Amino acid sequence: MAAVLEPYIYEGGIHKHTLITELLEDLGGYLIQKIPAATEVTLIMLIPKKDVPLIEELGKKLLGKLTSAPLTGTEIAVVSPTLAAHHLPHSACDVAEHLRRDGANTNMIGLARGMGRRVALSADYERRLINEHDIALFSFGTFADCIKNKKPKLFEGIDIPIIATGGPDLRTEDVPNADVYVGNIGRVAHRLRKSEELSSLDIMNKKVAEVVGVMREDMSKDPLSVLPPRVMKEIYEQIPQIEQVLTPAPITLQLDGLRVKLPYAEFHKKVEDLEFDEGTRLIELARVTPSKMKNYILIKIKRESEVGFTI
Amino acid sequence: MEALETFVVESAVPAEAAAYRSIVADVISELMLGGAIGRIKIILRPEDSLFQMAILLRGSQPPVRLADFAGLGYGVMERKEVKISIREEKYLPKLLEKLWARYGRGQVLQPERNTLIVRQDQDPEKEIESLGSMLIADPKESLQSRLIEMAIRSTPEGFRVRYHAMKENSFIFVASEDTLKPEWIQQAHQMLAELQEEQ
Repeated sequence: MAAVLEPYIYEGGIHKHTLITELLEDLGGYLIQKIPAATEVTLIMLIPKKDVPLIEELGKKLLGKLTSAPLTGTEIAVVSPTLAAHHLPHSACDVAEHLRRDGANTNMIGLARGMGRRVALSADYERRLINEHDIALFSFGTFADCIKNKKPKLFEGIDIPIIATGGPDLRTEDVPNADVYVGNIGRVAHRLRKSEELSSLDIMNKKVAEVVGVMREDMSKDPLSVLPPRVMKEIYEQIPQIEQVLTPAPITLQLDGLRVKLPYAEFHKKVEDLEFDEGTRLIELARVTPSKMKNYILIKIKRESEVGFTI
Repeated sequence: MEALETFVVESAVPAEAAAYRSIVADVISELMLGGAIGRIKIILRPEDSLFQMAILLRGSQPPVRLADFAGLGYGVMERKEVKISIREEKYLPKLLEKLWARYGRGQVLQPERNTLIVRQDQDPEKEIESLGSMLIADPKESLQSRLIEMAIRSTPEGFRVRYHAMKENSFIFVASEDTLKPEWIQQAHQMLAELQEEQ
């Protein structure tokens, strides 16, 4: 089994940041995502636990900042009832942005007909798309009556953990079928920047991290046959076309898989034939299917109990 | 009547009413309606899927003509130029659009931020007179469309069955998910009457 990896975000100047990525590679860590912005760069990475101080020290020398990012390696669906101005950009986008600060990859999903009380519904396609993620976060509005009695029907058919956010201060038990409810993040028409608004977003991140922690723990009982970041590294090395993909995260990590943003028809054979040093191919360790999102490739890694070994 | 001298949002749960008031306040400021609305009252009944709103407007502003915000004078006399000195820059885009339509883009020069020169071949004096009375912006027209935008933005999104009544200085809006009951519309008119009675 590989060393225990800890998720961290490094924020610093772009000058000499390659020293960090080189050291990370030498240590056996993984760079999940690199986001350059003018003279700044944000690196999301997995660092071997015992080597974190080494990166921290180098980061300090380069005047950067290393912070723990517990949501790294998760893909979260932020679901808003529709894409109308009533729900977006505030608060749903603020919620997504806050989750990304802790390392998560988020996808905003606006349902076609999720608005209203009696008329709210979700389509089969939407439910399948949401189920491809690790966690679904539903961003609801102001009224307790709607959140308790009407909106939970949007949860039907969702098999992944569900987090609901809304304005009123309810208990999780009051919202049927939700795994966690986070209050004080209801419908607003301005950017969430007041301290009490930000602190409810912090609470949300903490609760999402708790859910992720429980999911990771459950998974460790029957571990994945190969770690998703390992697959990511192999794809970068063996399929050079991934370098030409222009999305911010050409390969998105999930807790139990990856989303590869290459066309399925053209590349699924190459992905299936991905070779590991141990002599196995990816198809033996994972299911490679077309994703519901565009024509991307979705990889779900099989468990040890199914494959019989881990690498 | 002061701007927003009455601003009430009522709902069964006071905390939810307060949250909704902040949404409506944000929408009003985003659409720059703060100065136009005198009194506003909203009643929300999520359990019945009902949204009622009554607005009393303040006296609307008169239409803006060129002479209201700019000085008109002569440019170079031999070339019959007209010189426009602008005092309020916010109308400049609309003014330029109208001038371009009338004289053509090449004939309107802007040598300096607040100065426009129009090249033309009519009698400058007459031209100055007709330019001075040119209608540039009608706040009333944009006010109506902004009021409707505000009503749609502040209503819960699923409430797609709507009733509205717009008069010279008042606006009533009722929305629901289900068929509107006549008494709901009546109540909204009653709300407006109450707003009008307020001193």
